[in-house]
Amino acid sequence: MVSLPAALAGGFIGTLVLTTGLRAATELRLTRIDLPFLLGTVFTADRTRARAAGYALHFLFGLLFASAYYLIFAALDQASWWLGSLLGVAHALFAATALVSVLLPLVHPRMGTQFSAADSAPLLEPPGFMLLNYGASTPIAMLVTHVVYGAIVGAAAAA
Amino acid sequence: MAADGSIDWLCLPDLDSGSVFGAILDPQRGGAFRLEPIEPFSAERRYLEDSNLLETTYRTSRGTVRVTDAMPLPLSGLAPTRELVRSIEGLSGEVAIRWSVEPRFGYGQGRTHIGRRLGVPVADAGPEAMAVLSFEAGEPQGSADAIEGQFTAQPGVQALLALSMAHGDPLVFSPRSAIERRTAETLDYWRRWSRERSYEGPWREAVVRSALALKLLIHAPSGAIAAAATTSLPEELGGVRNWDYRYSWIRDSSATLDALLSLGCPSEGEAFFWWLLHASQLTHPQVNVLYRLDGRAGLPESELDLSGYQGSRPVRIGNAAAPQRQLDVYGHLLQTAWLFVEAGGVLSADTSSRLASTADLVCSIWSDEDSGIWEVRGLTRHFTQSKMMCWVALERACRLAADGHIPAKNASHWLAQATAIRRFLSDWCRSSERDSYMRFPGASETDAGILLPTLIGYGAGEERERLLSTVRNIRAELGSGLHLHRYRGEDGLPGQEGAFLACSFWLVDALGRLGEIEEASELMEGLLAHSNDVGLYSEEIDPASGAFLGNFPQGLVHLALINAAVTLQGESH
Repeated sequence: MVSLPAALAGGFIGTLVLTTGLRAATELRLTRIDLPFLLGTVFTADRTRARAAGYALHFLFGLLFASAYYLIFAALDQASWWLGSLLGVAHALFAATALVSVLLPLVHPRMGTQFSAADSAPLLEPPGFMLLNYGASTPIAMLVTHVVYGAIVGAAAAA
Repeated sequence: MAADGSIDWLCLPDLDSGSVFGAILDPQRGGAFRLEPIEPFSAERRYLEDSNLLETTYRTSRGTVRVTDAMPLPLSGLAPTRELVRSIEGLSGEVAIRWSVEPRFGYGQGRTHIGRRLGVPVADAGPEAMAVLSFEAGEPQGSADAIEGQFTAQPGVQALLALSMAHGDPLVFSPRSAIERRTAETLDYWRRWSRERSYEGPWREAVVRSALALKLLIHAPSGAIAAAATTSLPEELGGVRNWDYRYSWIRDSSATLDALLSLGCPSEGEAFFWWLLHASQLTHPQVNVLYRLDGRAGLPESELDLSGYQGSRPVRIGNAAAPQRQLDVYGHLLQTAWLFVEAGGVLSADTSSRLASTADLVCSIWSDEDSGIWEVRGLTRHFTQSKMMCWVALERACRLAADGHIPAKNASHWLAQATAIRRFLSDWCRSSERDSYMRFPGASETDAGILLPTLIGYGAGEERERLLSTVRNIRAELGSGLHLHRYRGEDGLPGQEGAFLACSFWLVDALGRLGEIEEASELMEGLLAHSNDVGLYSEEIDPASGAFLGNFPQGLVHLALINAAVTLQGESH
């Protein structure tokens, strides 16, 4: 039996672990990715407010992805930490190749693209293919943290 | 920044982080941001009045160019984590300029990768990155280890180079208008801040310059003040006396709060005081000698594989003096608390209780040997200066208790112990032959550090003649022209060092407080002539050549300068 509330709870905890894991990767000098900052600067140029808004938004996305995981678990009629981990791999690939690296720059009003020019407003450095602009270890950090997120959501949904 | 305009030292993101430009410690491996005319030139520098924006004017046979360097404050909009801006303006003729950014993150110990983002040259290594934005400064060319360009400066054309730096987050590529706006806002900010300083005496320019230098040494997130902006600039050229001063020393605390309050900087003073309480809480009831700028206590010392300033090795980061026992720190902590409440500050119940237990601790340890204010390595003594500062600690604790700021339960014990310290100092630490306090009991030399408790109030009033005699003995024994050495005796290290500039300003202050105004003013004038070309001081000076030694700019010297100027202003009135 797969539980939506449990999956959402797992999504909350998983996002907490994911965000902390990426922050730890920065402290370990592995990456410059800062998802709350990237998300928050969609709405404000103020760094402090951007981070606060970005954290809230990231948790919201964490819950939305947990709902998507739940739908897949429900369709398969099973949930487990390892199935969640597999979804985490797909999730990381989607984030690194499309969501953050391609879609975010297209909708982000303060992020540079190949078609923009920094002539009027400050532009953020785009993530680049597989987020490699933020450091060579960024894809690995993203993969590991998203696998952990998936494992937590999977384990919670199965509980 | 070197006199020729090369930026040879820059740490990211904070003063005590790894350097990205470290040519001052290793011209080959350290990295630098060079900018200069291609043909022979002379350079002259000055700060824009009442600001921390530096202007360098280059003169060549073909023309004149002015470069203004700024580190803009992120006052508005989406600004980079850290930013360095160099504006180049042709004043006359045509001058070919070349520039080169050679970033070497992490003290040049790792590999820096150079590439491009959105056509902008970018260098990165781990969580650090730097974009080089150029406007009318030539097409930037990236190579494996540098980003460089050339252009011709002429009247009517303003070139701009900006380093946009990131730490653990994406880079920000700002348009020229935003960079220029932040630079202008920063100039306004410094001028407004300088105008608000309350000193109006005869040495206002030097005092305000010192205050501006101190402001740059403040770690904004915590309020801590770094002792200096550099590491391992040698106290003896080619010697081993090379230390990392990019941390906050407790012994500077009372002078810091005194100076900040004297100049009308209550917000900076309050931030510093709370940082001090936060940092010392981590080691309570012991107080460490120094702490990191973020308040952490761990500062393991290590050596870097760099050639050192003019071959002065080793190059050290971290500071092994941190866990030393230096009893004077307790005096500075209690004195700082006293200054804080005197200025209208209110102590929390928890803080009051901690300060009282600090006084209890002083009662039980003042009779121990320690390493002393000068952080002598591997040598402990009953240093006179340390005992005097223990007396200051207990005397201030008694005052705080009497006024109801801290619990008075043990106040009689503190008073009894303060009296015992006074007796010990009088019986054992003085030489009746020289009528002077000496470095430690039985020592044949004195110690310029003894000036410091005199300034804080040790023996005020009743010991005037004895202190004046000690001050005169210190000047006679340790003086070298206008300057003072810290001590002449053994310190456990090979080689010699220069005169300690803070001691010279302490001497001015002490003479002023003892009523010798004319002598003090004369000495002050002489010392002010020994700053560098832009009014800054290093830790030490070679009295013979006038060359600076040690780390730079040295906060303690600028604090001593401010406090001496304020004392003389007060005494004159």
